[in-house]
Amino acid sequence: MNMIQHFPVLAVMTLFLGAFLIEILGRNQIVRNALAFAAVSISMVLLICLIRPVLLEGQVISYWMGGWKPVANYAIGIGYEVDALGLTFALLGITAYWLSCVYSFGYMKGKQHLGHYYTLFLMLAGASVGFFLTGDIFNMFIMMEIVTFSAVALTASNTEKTTAIEGAFKYLINCSIGSSMTLAGIALIYLNCHTLNLAQLATILPGNVNLTTLMAFALILIGFCVESAMIPFHASFVDAHTVAPSSVSMILSGMVLKLGVYGLIRISYIVFRAIDTSSLQILLTAFGTVTMFIGVTMALAQHDFKRLLAFHSVSQLGYIIAAAGLCTSLGLTGSLYHAINHTLFKGLLFLCAGAVIHATGTSDLDALGGLSKRMPKTCICFLIGAFSISGLPPFNGFVSKWMIYQAAYAKAVTTGNFYYAVVTVTALVVSVMTLASFVKVLHSVFFGQLKKEHESVHEAPGIMLFPMYIMSALCVLTGIFYKAFSTVFIGPAVFAAFNNTTYIDSMMGEGYAELFGVPALAIDKLEFSYWNPFVWFVLFVIVFAAACVVIFSSTGTRGRTLKSGGSYDSVYGTGDLSVDFMGRTYETGDPEEKYAVFFSGEKAEYSHAGGSDLFWGFKYNWHKYYQFLQGLHSGSVNDYSAYAVICIAVICMFMFLFMR
Amino acid sequence: MIVLKYLFNALIFPGALFTILAGFLLSGLDRKVIARMQRRIGPPLAQPVYDFFKLAGKENIVPAAANVTAYKLAPVLSFVSLAFIMVFIPIFSFSAFSSKADLIVILYLITIPGVALIIGGSASGSPYGAIGISREMVTMMSYELPFVLVLLAVAKKAGGDQLVFSLKEIGEWQAVNGSMLLHWSMIPAALAMLLVIPAEVGTQPFDVAEAETEICEGPLCEYSGAPLAVFKLSTCMKMFIMTGLFTAMFLGGIRTGFAGTDAILFVLICCVVTILCITTIHAITARLRIQHLFQFYWTYVTLLALVSLVLVWFGL
Repeated sequence: MNMIQHFPVLAVMTLFLGAFLIEILGRNQIVRNALAFAAVSISMVLLICLIRPVLLEGQVISYWMGGWKPVANYAIGIGYEVDALGLTFALLGITAYWLSCVYSFGYMKGKQHLGHYYTLFLMLAGASVGFFLTGDIFNMFIMMEIVTFSAVALTASNTEKTTAIEGAFKYLINCSIGSSMTLAGIALIYLNCHTLNLAQLATILPGNVNLTTLMAFALILIGFCVESAMIPFHASFVDAHTVAPSSVSMILSGMVLKLGVYGLIRISYIVFRAIDTSSLQILLTAFGTVTMFIGVTMALAQHDFKRLLAFHSVSQLGYIIAAAGLCTSLGLTGSLYHAINHTLFKGLLFLCAGAVIHATGTSDLDALGGLSKRMPKTCICFLIGAFSISGLPPFNGFVSKWMIYQAAYAKAVTTGNFYYAVVTVTALVVSVMTLASFVKVLHSVFFGQLKKEHESVHEAPGIMLFPMYIMSALCVLTGIFYKAFSTVFIGPAVFAAFNNTTYIDSMMGEGYAELFGVPALAIDKLEFSYWNPFVWFVLFVIVFAAACVVIFSSTGTRGRTLKSGGSYDSVYGTGDLSVDFMGRTYETGDPEEKYAVFFSGEKAEYSHAGGSDLFWGFKYNWHKYYQFLQGLHSGSVNDYSAYAVICIAVICMFMFLFMR
Repeated sequence: MIVLKYLFNALIFPGALFTILAGFLLSGLDRKVIARMQRRIGPPLAQPVYDFFKLAGKENIVPAAANVTAYKLAPVLSFVSLAFIMVFIPIFSFSAFSSKADLIVILYLITIPGVALIIGGSASGSPYGAIGISREMVTMMSYELPFVLVLLAVAKKAGGDQLVFSLKEIGEWQAVNGSMLLHWSMIPAALAMLLVIPAEVGTQPFDVAEAETEICEGPLCEYSGAPLAVFKLSTCMKMFIMTGLFTAMFLGGIRTGFAGTDAILFVLICCVVTILCITTIHAITARLRIQHLFQFYWTYVTLLALVSLVLVWFGL
């Protein structure tokens, strides 16, 4: 018996087992942390062991719970099935959980009810990994529910914010709408096909369109759209991500939204194979494009650090869904690459936000400033994350966005459809708005003037910085070594999404797919030329370093720093002089605040260019748009549910009109 | 060997050194011509060079509120990234980084000097810097939309049913089919591009971010000495890079056969483009306000670029 077959189910079980053990034994802090860390680490190792057979050798690993194998070609048991697509997501997930777990040790230290926190955390981890590895659609629903309920409880566990319970409640309502849609869809499928196994459904459903299956597809699709926070389902997610503890926000925003993406790809590419109909492509890309645009414009208007990040998650998810909806190999590659990148950089940014909150106790952009001098390491990590999400080369966001633009415009010129050109333009413009929004954060949190009350803040402890370093390193490495990365992780996943024969055969027995004549999706060859960022990057670093040396060696000795101790007069040589031309600072004179900072102009109250008003020139022209959108984000869950219901009705109508 | 070749490309031709010299030339020409337009005699052509060395020799003061590392690194980042962008732009038949360098890479690399300026201004801790960076960012958002539309129109024109994003291939297409500017459907896009250049370089009337008379050069407010000199140099280089991009996209069909003559012709065309879109507009207009700048780009200029894209889309 091959041992490796049991690894997927063990990876999920370890996490759930850890959750129960913590609840029983977790009174002591050391035991609790050790148990949580061990559970996540073991699960991670088990999944890493699967890289070789699944990603490198192209096998699909199947496992029947309790040995309930198919009888007479009908799957009756619950099966676990690991193909490259699922494993890529699962690895991504477990990496995020591992880092978040380490971060939690520092961030949550001293909080109350930590036993429950880690229990729920491991439940969340186990359910997410299980969601990616399962081969049963009802099991997917169960895992989604566990994720929802643990996420709700974790959000509410932030006792420092009074709005945490409210955020959790909205999250619960919103996800319930999504999962009831999914459940209804699954019921319809079961009614029609008498099986719940994904592999078997993939042989029955494609080419077997009737009203029931179409309705089922529409409902399940909507369910996953809700999970991935598409507009207009995003509002309560944003509220919840804002108030959750940062270690959880990172998971909710970076990881849990990917459940929806994975489900969407799994359902539309593999199970229903409906993605090659042009109306579905238009629906998904339109959904994604609207989401990325509204997400980023709303982010520009925010003045809470975490809320801004949450809106960016919505926007980036728009990229991912739009690219997945293109149904080209480059598009799906870009989509998956961006999904992975988003987990890395958004996780990193949320961790930075957590470090800032940990140090200062606030996430209000207007109340922060000048922290780069107190928290230089966090500032550098934040810069890497911000450059990655804005897609500046050579960071990872650029690689995936580059693929998405190429794919979208290739789709536009090959099909001659102007609509896809609009998608490309929107994606490109949204990218610069993302940059703008992070400039705002950079300015109002890390640069600018240090606030009096934050004079004494300290850098985050090492255990919080460690996950941030790892994520920063991953952001840079996946940007530079994009080729190795996409060959090992993305390429096989894309191949698995387009060719499901192995997936079906491995589950249902050799030759099963052929028996039912499953058509393979036409796939164009998996290759993309890309400029060589490695050579570029090395050269850039060399020249950059050389230029730094030249500039600093020539002016360094004569540069001087005027500390607040030095008075204005001393610069001009009329006052109490202690000017040092050798680069040292001087500390004499009365520190008159007026001249401490500026050499020019009159002292001004720190001008209107604070956090929330940095893009006045932009918002002035868009004030009607903003009035409209901010009115829609009313914060009332009744409104949000109403948008969801309207949207569901519209999508169902669209499907029935155009997809039959 | 390949590294040496790239290093040569990045440092000498067409990278840093060539770009600096051409940038100085364009900047000097700009000042000379605008003086003549205003019936002044104007500075000598080499004035930007004198200015640069004079500034570089001045004392460098770092304000106490500044984040020193970011404050000092920002100009260097701006300079180095500009030196590297030129490597991606083909000079007629000569292109250093082969076909893989494409429009999107250039589009993104061009934002880096802007980001460097923003980081510098923000790191200086000055409120003038803060207003300056906010305006710089809005300016970037303003011209990005028409710029993207122009790039896509050019790509579509050169590619037809194929996806062509490579500037080199676009140049080759022009060598066969005649320069883009000779196709009437591309003329609105060319006009739009000519209007994008001054905003990207930051000259009047689109210099709201650095408006000397109201916010003391915004992000550069606190800068002095060598870092300021490097930022000024960056502006000169940006002038050459943007006009060079225009030349490569719209007049790329010219071939003289020799890299040397190509380069000289390229610089000459850049001079003409500079006088057209930077100097003339500078001489006849007054500074806009930031909200009007945004409006201007997202309506008129975008419309021009969009007209081209739609025309090209229908095969004209």
